[in-house]
Amino acid sequence: MSTAVGIKVEEHFHNAEQQRETAKLGMWVFLLTELLLFSGLFVSALVIRVLHPDSVTAVALHLKFWIGATNTAILIVSSFCMSGAIESSRLGLRRPMIFCMLATAGLGVLFLMLKGYEYDRDYVEHMTPFLSFRRYELVGDPASRLFTDLYFVITGLHAIHLTIGIGIMLVMSWLASRPHFLERHQNRIEITGLYWHFIDLIWMIVFPTLYLLNR
Amino acid sequence: MNPSDAALRDLRVPAPVLAVPDDYLHVEQTLGSWILTTDHKRIGILYLVSITGFFVLGAIAAGLIRLALIVPDGSILSNDVYNRVFTLHGVIMVWFFLVPSIPNTLGNFLLPLMIGAKDVAFPRLNLLSWYIFVIASLFTVFVMIWGGVDTGWTFYTPLSTQYSNSYVLTAVFGIIVVGFSSILTGMNFMVTVHKLRAPGMTWFRLPLFVWSLYATSLILVLATPVLTIALILLFADRAFGLAIFDPANGGDPVLFQHLFWFYSHPVVYVMVLPGMGVMSELVTAFSYKKIFGYKFIAFSSVGIAVIGFFVWGHHMFYNGMSPFAGLTFSLMSFIVAVPSAIKVYNWAATIHKGSIRLDTPMLYALGWIGLFVIGGVTGLMLASTAIDGQVHDTYFVVAHFHYIMVGATVVAFMGGIHFWWPKITGRKYSEPWGRVSALLMFIGFNMTFAPQYVLGYMGMPRRYAVYPPAYQVLNVLSSAGATVLALAYIFPMIYLIWSLWYGEEAGDNPWGAKGLEWLTTSPPPKHNFEHTPMVDFDPYDYPNVTPEK
Amino acid sequence: MAGEIDTIFALWCVVLFLLVAPVFVFMTWCVIKYRAGRDVDRTHREARNTAVELSWTIIPLLISLVFFFWAGGIYLDQQSAPPDAMVITAIGRQWMWKFQHPGGQWEINDLHVPVGQSIRINIQSQDVIHSLYIPALRIQQEAVPGRTTMLWFKADRVGAYRLFCSELCGVDHALMAGTLYVMSPADYQNWLRQSGASQTLVAGGKRLFDSYGCSGCHVNSDTVRAPPLAGLLGSTVPLRDGGTVVADDAYIRDSILQPGKRVVAGYKPVMPSFEGAVSQADLGELVAYIKSLGQENERMP
Ligand code: HEA
Ligand code: HEA
Ligand code: HEC
Ligand code: CUA
Ligand SMILES: [Cu+2]
Repeated sequence: MSTAVGIKVEEHFHNAEQQRETAKLGMWVFLLTELLLFSGLFVSALVIRVLHPDSVTAVALHLKFWIGATNTAILIVSSFCMSGAIESSRLGLRRPMIFCMLATAGLGVLFLMLKGYEYDRDYVEHMTPFLSFRRYELVGDPASRLFTDLYFVITGLHAIHLTIGIGIMLVMSWLASRPHFLERHQNRIEITGLYWHFIDLIWMIVFPTLYLLNR
Repeated sequence: MNPSDAALRDLRVPAPVLAVPDDYLHVEQTLGSWILTTDHKRIGILYLVSITGFFVLGAIAAGLIRLALIVPDGSILSNDVYNRVFTLHGVIMVWFFLVPSIPNTLGNFLLPLMIGAKDVAFPRLNLLSWYIFVIASLFTVFVMIWGGVDTGWTFYTPLSTQYSNSYVLTAVFGIIVVGFSSILTGMNFMVTVHKLRAPGMTWFRLPLFVWSLYATSLILVLATPVLTIALILLFADRAFGLAIFDPANGGDPVLFQHLFWFYSHPVVYVMVLPGMGVMSELVTAFSYKKIFGYKFIAFSSVGIAVIGFFVWGHHMFYNGMSPFAGLTFSLMSFIVAVPSAIKVYNWAATIHKGSIRLDTPMLYALGWIGLFVIGGVTGLMLASTAIDGQVHDTYFVVAHFHYIMVGATVVAFMGGIHFWWPKITGRKYSEPWGRVSALLMFIGFNMTFAPQYVLGYMGMPRRYAVYPPAYQVLNVLSSAGATVLALAYIFPMIYLIWSLWYGEEAGDNPWGAKGLEWLTTSPPPKHNFEHTPMVDFDPYDYPNVTPEK
Repeated sequence: MAGEIDTIFALWCVVLFLLVAPVFVFMTWCVIKYRAGRDVDRTHREARNTAVELSWTIIPLLISLVFFFWAGGIYLDQQSAPPDAMVITAIGRQWMWKFQHPGGQWEINDLHVPVGQSIRINIQSQDVIHSLYIPALRIQQEAVPGRTTMLWFKADRVGAYRLFCSELCGVDHALMAGTLYVMSPADYQNWLRQSGASQTLVAGGKRLFDSYGCSGCHVNSDTVRAPPLAGLLGSTVPLRDGGTVVADDAYIRDSILQPGKRVVAGYKPVMPSFEGAVSQADLGELVAYIKSLGQENERMP
C-alpha cells in the first residue's frame, strides 16, 4: 500500500532536490548550534572535575548508573525505530512509518519516565542542592554541590530537548497520518529524524561525562 | 529621467504614481502585508526600522553618559543611575543595534539579490527571527529602563549573580531569547549561500559582501549558543542558587568570563565583518575598478571568523590567568590582526589607478579605513600583555572599541545605507547633505573618542561616574565632540526620510555599479528578478577604461 | 617598570604609525591623482599579485611579533615577584580597599609604602571582583573572590599617586579609590609607628562604637535608617534645613553630643544625645574610629 513520495516545491526554490537539500542543511546547521549549547556545559563539567576531582567522584558514585545505562539503551533502540520510520517514508509505506514514529515517541516517553524516577530517587536522597528548603546531604564539601547542580542542568536541558522531540514526533505522526502527506512533505520526516538522532547523540555524550568518566 | 518628472520635482511635490508599480514596496500596502511578510526585502526594512529605534534609545543613553561626565564629581547622575545608564547603553548598542545592524538590514535585503535568489532559504524563519528579536528586545529594554541593571554589558559574576540589586534576571532572560533570533538568522544565511545561488554563481563569483555575511553567520551559529548557556547558568545561579560561579560554594567566577568572552570576542567580528563586506562593495564601485586580491579578501573573512574563536582570553590578562595562557591568547590576537591588515592593504591597492568619485558612500568608506585602522592597531596594543596592564578597563579600551564599533561598523552601515538607498527605496537623497553629514561624522567622532585614548593612558578607569578633576578637560572635549556626532546622526535621519517622498527617482543603477542587485529594477520586484539571472561573469568586472563622466 | 612600559608603548605607537601611515598617504595620493574625470594613465591595472599580498601579510606580522615578545617578557616578569619583596595584603570589598602591613597595621583605601623596596601585594576579595589599579606604576591586577592574586612593584620616586578599583563592582565602584604614598624608608617607619598608635585609639573606638549601641543603627540596621559613616570625614554633608557642612572633628563630636542640632538631610532626628553619657576619652576614641572609616575626597597633589 505504498503511496507516492515527494515534496511540494515552494516558490523560491527551483526544484524539489534543492528544497530537500536546503532543509537538510538547515537542520544540520541548527544541530551544530545545539551541539555548542551543550558543549558549554560539558566544558563546565570538565572544569569542575579538574578543580575538585574528589568531590566529583563522590557525587558520581551516587548517580544511578543502571538507570542511566538503561536509558542509553532505550535511546539507541529509539534511534533504530526512527531510522525505520525514515526508510519507510522513503518507500512510501505510510502505516509502518507511523508505527515506527509512535514507537520512537513511546521510547522517548519511557526514557523520561525513568529519568523522572531517577530524579525522585535523587530527591529522596537529599541530592538537590538547589532547593533551598531541603537539606543537601550528599557530601560535605561545597564543590560537590556544584557537580550535582550541573548534573541537573545538563540532564534537565537534555530532557527539555527530548520532550520537544516527542512533541514534534507526535505532531508529525498526526500530520503524516493524513492522506497525501508523503506526496508533499516527505522531507519533513527526514528532518524530524535528524533532530531525534541528534538528541540521542547528545545523551551518548552526557552519559559518559556524568556517569562513567567519574566513577 | 523624463522632463515632466524634473518639472514636478522642482515644484517640491512627490513624484506622481502614474501606474501602480508592482515593486516589493507597492505590491500590497496593508499593515498585515508588512507584519506578516515573508519577503526578505520587507523583513530587512522591518529590521531597519526597529534597530533605528533601538539606536536612538542607545544614543540617548550615550548622551546622558557624556552629559554626566562633564563634571567630575558625579553631581549630574548618581553613581547608581550612571551604572544603569551605561549598562543600558552597552546592552542596547551591542545586542539590539550593532549585532543585527548590517546583517539583518542590508544583509537581509541584499543577500538573495546578490546571489540571484528569490528569497532566503527559510523565509518564515526569517520573519520569526524578527518577531523574536523585537519582542525580546522591547521586553529587555523595558525592564532595563523601568527597573535598571547595573552590571555592565559584561554581566560579570558574582556581581551579577549575588550582589547586584537590579533586574539582572529579567534582562538576562531577554538577552537569551534575542540570541535565538541571531541563531536563526545565521543559520538562514549560511544555508542560503550554500544552496540558493543562481546558476553560474560559483563561490568565487560571490560579491565579497556575501563572503563576509557567510563568515558572520558562521560565528553567529557557533558562538551564540555558548552565550546562551553561559547566561542560562547565570540565570540559574541567581534564581536557584546553583552556585556554578559562586566561589563560596566551590564555583568559579572566572569560568563565566571564559564562557562570556568565548562568545563575545567572536561576536565583535560579527559586528565588523559585515562592515568590511560593505567596504569592499563601496571601494570598488566608487573606484570603478576590479577589487584587488579578491581571494585574499574572501578568505581573510573566513580566517577572521575562525581565528577569532581562539583569542577570547585577551580580555582577561589580569584576572590571574596563568602567564602561559595569557601569552597564548596574546599571540593569537596578534595573528587575528593579520587578515584585517590584508583587507586594509587590499582596499588601498584597489583605489590605485581607479577612477575615484567622492560621493557620500565613498566619503564614509574612506573615513572607515582611517577609523578602523586606528581602532585596530590600538587593539593590537591592548593585545600586548604588559601594555594591557596599564590600560585594561580604562578609557583606552573604551576608545578602542568605539573606534571599531562606531568608527568602523556604524560608519560602514551609514555608507551602505546611502549606497543602496536608491535600490531599497527607488529614491535619491540629497548629495550635499550627505557629504556634509559624512564629514561631520568624521570630525565629531574623532573629537569624541580621540581624547579618550589619552584619558585611558593617563589612567582614567572606565565605568566611573566620579573621577579625579585632573581628567575633566579631556572629558569636556569628548562631550563636546558627542554633540557634533549627534548632528551627524540626526541629519541623515531627516534627509533620508525626506527623500522617501521628495527624492529624485533613482533609476536602476545610479552609481553604475556592478553586481546582480543592480541589474534588477529599483525598488526590486517582489521576487527580485524577472528571470533568474545566469551568471557568466566575474564579480566587480568593471571595464578597463575610464568611463566618460 | 613604569618607564619600560612607557617606552614600549611609545615605540609601538611609532612602529604602528609607520605601518599604517603609508596606507593613508598612498590613499590620499590616489584619491587626488585618480579622481574620476582626470585624464591620467590608468593602464597596467592589476587585480592580483601574490608576492605583494604575501609581503604585506608577513612583514607587519613579523614586526609586530617583536612587540609580542617584548611585552610578553614584561608580563612574565610581572607575574613573578622577587623573593625578598615585602608582602602587603590587599582586601577588596564593596567599596573599599583594606591594606594590611606586615607589622599588623592596616589602612583603608590609602597605601603607604617605602621607596626603593620591592613590594608584593597579595590581593583578595570578600565579595565581587575588584581590580587594584595603580596607573603611575602601570600595573593592575584583579581581586577574584576565592583566590589570591598578586602584583608586585618597586616604586622609585617618593610621592603620592592615585590608586583605583578598575573592575565594575557595583554601585560605588567609582568611589573605591585612594592614594598610594611612596615614602622614604624613614618616613615609612614613622608612619608605621604612628598608625600603630592611632590604631589602638581606633580599635578602642570600635569597641565603644559597639558597646554604646552606635552600630545598632549605623551598621546594617533593618529598623532604623541612619547614615553610613564610612568616608564621612572631609565630605560635604547636606543638612535637613538645606545647608551643608563639611564634616570635621568638631562636626563629628557635635553629632554625637547634640545630634538634633544639625540633622542630615533625608534622615529623621531619632539619634539620642550622648551628652554626659560618653566620657571625653571615649569621645576621642569614637571620633578616631569614625575618622578611620575611609577618608575620601582628598586633594591630590
Ligand atoms: C567590532 C568590534 C571589535 C573589533 C573588530 C575588535 C578588534 C580587535 N580587538 Fe577589541 N574590543 C572590542 C571590540 C572590537 N575589537 C570591545 C567591545 C572590547 C571591550 C569589551 C569590554 O570589556 O566591554 C574590546 C576589547 C579588546 C581587548 C581587551 C582590552 C581590555 O579589556 O583590557 C583587546 C586585547 O587584546 C582587544 C584586541 C583587539 C584586536 C587585536 C583586534 C583586531 O581584530 C584588530 C585588527 C585590525 C587591525 C590591526 C587594523 C588593520 C591593520 C593594519 C592597517 C596593518 C597594521 C597591522 C599590523 C601591524 C598587524 N580588544
Ligand atoms: C554599537 C555600539 C556603540 C555605539 C554606537 C556607541 C556610541 C557611543 N558611545 Fe558607547 N559604549 C558601547 C557601545 C557603543 N557606544 C559599549 C558596548 C560600551 C560599554 C558598556 C559597559 O561598560 O558595559 C559603551 C560605553 C560607553 C562609554 C563609557 C562609559 C563608562 O565606561 O563609564 C562612553 C563614554 O563616553 C560611551 C559614549 C558613547 C558615545 C558618545 C557614543 C556616540 O557615538 C553616540 C552619539 C549620540 C549622541 C551623542 C547622543 C545623541 C543625543 C540625543 C539623541 C539626545 C541628547 C540627550 C542628552 C544630551 C541628554 N559609550
Ligand atoms: C537610634 C539610632 C541611633 C543611634 C543609637 C546612634 N545614631 Fe548616630 N545618627 C542616627 C540618625 C538617624 C542620624 C541622622 C540624623 C542626624 O543627623 O541627627 C545620625 C547621625 C550621626 C552622625 C552624623 C552623620 C552624618 O552623616 O553627618 C554621627 C557622626 C553619628 N550619628 C554618630 C553616632 C555615634 C558615635 C553613636 C553612638 C555613640 C550614634 N551615632 C548612635 C541614629 C543613631
Ligand atoms: Cu571595586 Cu570597582
Ligand atoms: Cu576581544
